[in-house]
Amino acid sequence: MDPEHLAQLESALGQVTGFIYPNEVELHWSILIVIYPYLTGLVAGAFILASLERVFNVKELQPTYRLALLTALAFLIVAPMPLQAHLGHPERAFEIFLTPNSASAMAMFGFVYAWYLMVVLLMEIWFDYRADLVRWRQSDKGVMKLVHWVISLGSRDISPAAVAFDRKAVQFITIVGIPSAFLLHGYVGFIFGSVKANPWWSSVLMPIVFLFSAIVSGISMVLLIYYVTTLLRRKALDMKCLNTLASFLLYTLIIDLSLEALDFIHRLYESEESIEILEQLIFGKLFLSLTIVQILLGTIVPIVFLAAARFSELPNEMKRMIYFVAAVLVQVGIFSTRWNVVIGGQLFSKSLRGLTAYKLEFGGQEGLLVAVGLLVLPFVILALLLKILPPWEDATTDPDPEPSEAQLT
Amino acid sequence: MFKALLKPITDLRAWIRGWSGGLGRRKIPTQIIQLGVIFLAVGVGMFVMRQKFVPETFGDLGHYRGAAVAANAALEPRYSGWQECAICHPDKVETKNKSFHRTVSCEACHGPASDHANRPMRLRPELPVGREPCLACHRYLVSRPTGFPQVIEERHNPVRACTSCHDAHDPTPPERIQECSACHNTIARSKAVSPHAPLDCEVCHEAPAEHKVQPRAHVPKKPFEREFCGTCHAREATPPELIRGVDLTVYEIPRIDLTTHGGTFVCWQCHYQHSPEAR
Repeated sequence: MDPEHLAQLESALGQVTGFIYPNEVELHWSILIVIYPYLTGLVAGAFILASLERVFNVKELQPTYRLALLTALAFLIVAPMPLQAHLGHPERAFEIFLTPNSASAMAMFGFVYAWYLMVVLLMEIWFDYRADLVRWRQSDKGVMKLVHWVISLGSRDISPAAVAFDRKAVQFITIVGIPSAFLLHGYVGFIFGSVKANPWWSSVLMPIVFLFSAIVSGISMVLLIYYVTTLLRRKALDMKCLNTLASFLLYTLIIDLSLEALDFIHRLYESEESIEILEQLIFGKLFLSLTIVQILLGTIVPIVFLAAARFSELPNEMKRMIYFVAAVLVQVGIFSTRWNVVIGGQLFSKSLRGLTAYKLEFGGQEGLLVAVGLLVLPFVILALLLKILPPWEDATTDPDPEPSEAQLT
Repeated sequence: MFKALLKPITDLRAWIRGWSGGLGRRKIPTQIIQLGVIFLAVGVGMFVMRQKFVPETFGDLGHYRGAAVAANAALEPRYSGWQECAICHPDKVETKNKSFHRTVSCEACHGPASDHANRPMRLRPELPVGREPCLACHRYLVSRPTGFPQVIEERHNPVRACTSCHDAHDPTPPERIQECSACHNTIARSKAVSPHAPLDCEVCHEAPAEHKVQPRAHVPKKPFEREFCGTCHAREATPPELIRGVDLTVYEIPRIDLTTHGGTFVCWQCHYQHSPEAR
């Protein structure tokens, strides 16, 4: 056996308590598999936020509509990368499209992903930006002219009829997109929830819990990006928009917490034979990441913060700060939610008699560096997208007037 | 230059537009045509890729290339099986099949020998040399069952080839194992430094003589009741002065009241009998 691997195995063996099977000492799904549901959740959440403006007519969210779409796209492009880095041989990935295997939930995810990317997200962005692309092209110079021309697929028609058709198409795609976004992240939950041999994962509530945590993470991520990009552009934050975002974040957080609590109480009441090892897991290995980070810091504290800021007479500056801190806490909480599901589910033995530990590598194909790289990459892609497809209202050629003082308060 | 490159596309668009208009229906929006072209290209691309990359027999038998089964079945077998060896080497096979190595196939040590069976004189099978082939099974490993012959290679006659003492076809050890410690080493070491050190294993375990030859077929007996330990450790017990040559009168034996001590538990639920803590 490879001596390096042996040394690693030995250090893991030191952490083992109770009885576990030999092939359970080392975890097979690493931090990359934690990142995958985290990124996918952000995509679905950001899209659902965008659909609030378009389908449910929440006009206050207009400033974040395009930003949310681009955020979803940036994270969607990166979402399959951790899987490919984990499995190796990314050059073979296309084969799941050529020989669809309907018996494999994981293989079919390729189609869910392709549907969401090509039919929902790209088409919605294209229809929404098409008229702007045509206008930008007329004033563009150099490479940007070519880029905008390619993205617009050579469109020229900005007649009122064509723009009206765009608007209708966006409406239609968003309506198709909402169930698709539910499908995308519900599917990730399904992949875990359908592992019947694992009592930590196997639950019909899993897709729903995943979905609501996705909405929570998407809203808070768009809030953060809107906050930071607006400050960087030295523009005024639209306080109405921030307040609405905070309200939706608060409501979805409460639903998310209730669902998690329901799942917990249900397990506790059922008290299947796995309950003892799960209890050891929750109060032992996962105490910090689950009880402290996920539930306390990532859910309860943001709920208190948001409720206090939203329904009080605090000055706007103070409110913004609280929203920002709450959104950051939510992100940390959601990341540890994914961690607790993926890593937590592999920490206990199938014998239900022992626990192992996860040792994160620093370098290597599944190490910390790759993970950080994959978490930074969506923001790089987003920066590029913001450059090519500026979502700001002042970038459109027929801009709405700057938000007035009344709007800011 | 772009315009020249785009000419076929603009022509096509004009044609589609004319065609759809000519039918007297509502004009197809240009957006639909543009996206239609992209989706058509993706669809055609998928179709072409499927034709090119998916093997012909894929899916015939399951979610894999059907021809792979025939391709594997057509491979020339490399192992012939011990029955084939017995045709020419009956004496060796007979010796081996009566020895401890009866479950080990000839080709496990001599390598795949189908070529040799087909052309016996031209292609000779391997002759295992050195210690490594034997150590593959007999090197000391904690995970191997107690009683399975294992050696620590650095301590067990280093450098000498195994076959200089052992016959691989009849690997009965040169000296028959006499002591329990040969197999139950861990227990023997614990007991040697414990208060039970003077006692022979047979004081507590009645072992049939065959146990040393066929350890799993003839299992020794174990004590199964509290009264057995009580023969020495009960308060009122009068242990035999001598147990298998050991003078027990010189020892201060810990005594307990069998009726009250430990409730209904048997002794070995609390005390490890091979290294009891009470002195």
